[in-house]
Amino acid sequence: MSKVPFKLPETRSWREIPQQVRPRAMSREGRRRLAMRGFRFALGAFAIGLVGWGAWEISSVLGENPSGLPAAAKSERVRNLILVTDGVLDKTWLAKTLALPGDATLMGLDLIQLRSKVLADAQVSSASVIRNFPDTLTVRVSERSPVVRMMAQSGSESPRMFLVSRDGVCFEGTGFDPAMVATLPWIEGVRLIRRGSSFVPIENMSAVADLLASAKLEAEALYGTWQVISLAHLGSDGLIEVYARGGMKVTFGTNEDYLRQIARLDLINASTDATRPLRDVNLSLGSQVPVAYGTAAPSLVGPMDGPEHAPSTQPLIAIPQFSNLPH
Amino acid sequence: MSSKTTFIGAVEIGTAKITALVGAYTGREIVIIGCGECASRGVIKGSVVDYRAATECTHNALEMAERDANERINHVFLAQTGGHLEGFYNEASLNVKAADNMIEKDDIRTVCELAKAKDLPLGRMVVHNIRRPFRVDGRLVPTSPESLVGQKLEVGYWTVHGQEQRLADNIHVIRGFNLEVRELVLSSLAAGHMVTTMEERQNGVLAIDIGAGTTDFVLYRNGVPHTTGVVAVGGGHFTNDLSIGLRLTEVQAEKLKVRFGRAVVQARDKNEKVWLDGNYSIGDRQFSRQAIESITAARAWELLEVVKKKLGHAFSPETCAAGVVLTGGAAKLPALSECAAKIFGAPARLGEAPSWVNENLRDPGFHTALGILYYGVSAQGDRAAVARRTGGFLHSVTRLFAST
Repeated sequence: MSKVPFKLPETRSWREIPQQVRPRAMSREGRRRLAMRGFRFALGAFAIGLVGWGAWEISSVLGENPSGLPAAAKSERVRNLILVTDGVLDKTWLAKTLALPGDATLMGLDLIQLRSKVLADAQVSSASVIRNFPDTLTVRVSERSPVVRMMAQSGSESPRMFLVSRDGVCFEGTGFDPAMVATLPWIEGVRLIRRGSSFVPIENMSAVADLLASAKLEAEALYGTWQVISLAHLGSDGLIEVYARGGMKVTFGTNEDYLRQIARLDLINASTDATRPLRDVNLSLGSQVPVAYGTAAPSLVGPMDGPEHAPSTQPLIAIPQFSNLPH
Repeated sequence: MSSKTTFIGAVEIGTAKITALVGAYTGREIVIIGCGECASRGVIKGSVVDYRAATECTHNALEMAERDANERINHVFLAQTGGHLEGFYNEASLNVKAADNMIEKDDIRTVCELAKAKDLPLGRMVVHNIRRPFRVDGRLVPTSPESLVGQKLEVGYWTVHGQEQRLADNIHVIRGFNLEVRELVLSSLAAGHMVTTMEERQNGVLAIDIGAGTTDFVLYRNGVPHTTGVVAVGGGHFTNDLSIGLRLTEVQAEKLKVRFGRAVVQARDKNEKVWLDGNYSIGDRQFSRQAIESITAARAWELLEVVKKKLGHAFSPETCAAGVVLTGGAAKLPALSECAAKIFGAPARLGEAPSWVNENLRDPGFHTALGILYYGVSAQGDRAAVARRTGGFLHSVTRLFAST
């Protein structure tokens, strides 16, 4: 192999002369040609983009269009049902709800209709039905969580228990743990209106749900005693009445922070003599908390005028005595 | 036209006129489809001295050619002339390294690199590297010596170089039209390629292109260009001498030169007079025919002597069997071939374009522009072939292993 044993001198060729010329050094025709070249480049880029976009659109249409699929895919039967949920519903519920015929093929399914079937159960808030080739149908659902329960009777039917979600939707509740359901308070003072096979959502349920969530989180012991939530004065006066175990009635106002009201109730509860159970506590008046006791025991604020049973009906001004109440 | 057709422009920026041709190149053949001409301004002896004026004229010629062709030019082959162009010969030899003395591609490449490598003065750039035939142990090899057996491989290059600024000026004139200059072609090579046949080049021929400002020449031997050169004297100087000698304007002198000028004095009668215009108009004058012929003949003789002197020992009537071929606008001077034959001692003739060239383009003034197209296309083809031979993936892998 021949190799040059030393470095050769570098000769410069005319090709090294830069051919870049600024547009202002060009003639009118030169500038026009430059502009035309830029325009053609832009047009070409646009055309390529357009073709690419068209190809992508066509491929996506072919991907979604069942007629574009091979016959083998059309005749494939549904062998797997998959339920993906954030709640308690299971595959049994899904099979029962969808009620697919045994010879149903994946491409023969009407996904929109199946989704409607799933959404017909009020426990489901949102759903999507997806074909997974070759033989799997996947259903993704998002479920409603109950915050209270209620009994309802329609016509001559025997009364049935319904669960109520935060958005006021009533549903029968499938798959929930009975022990958990038993801890839910009942609601009263509302009137259910039927709409088709379901009910019109109960208004202002979010306020109740907030109250219950706060109570459960901050004072679980108190929440455990709550049995009935009355919404009778919720719409008109903004009051939520809670009937606790032992007959105590606590009135909450929706205009004030629930945490503060619950804290006051907890403090009042803790400061109350066990021999004088509370009968009525009204927390809706802000820092003024009228309290009524269930027995004729002397008031915390000292002797009061009036008959012996009067304390049970006369509200006591709690502020001076509970100076450490949260404001 | 097929979609693969390339429209090549051939531009000659001359001292008297600027010529632009458009050729449709399909990859196999080239067809002239457009022509544009414009009187030159801003160019003296082949060099641009007024950028604006030269640009304007060149662009006019290009526009005219594009209009004539009804197509847009893709790139340009540009003729290059001028007194700044010079040439030198450099050769190299190499001992063949293979054990069996068989010449390989690497040997050829190395000897070519050695022959081409020579320091140029500052500001000079190579325009052409013209290879002369290889010699293997003194034996002439006109084609590639690959696979021949020999101990010593020799090659020589005739290198033409020019001044960087003048080359750049010419290129920028074309770039101002937003066209790329793909090839720079020496005017002498272009014209010589057009007016000589392959057989003549093989036997040895001298082609002289006499323009208005410069005279380009190329001496062929063994089928390839042996020596090239440029003399900064042309037909314009004939006019200038007439203008000074007879006290005429340039336009009047040019008119007399075209009508009565000769390269060999024919008029015997000193009193024979010719009219300047010959139309009895006011100011029309009479001049001695012999005086006109004497001036033009002296200048023509002098010009060809300069060319012969520049060729030196490279030219001899024995090595130039096909004689001398004259072309260019000023070569139309009557009896110039007779004058050339006397000076060079070899047969001389006026060059003609090949028979397939259109009647409108057969004038000697178009030979250079035509030659640019044909020479440029063949040079590009050679370059593409070399690139194909040396640029492949397999070649890269081979070289990788060879170097380790």
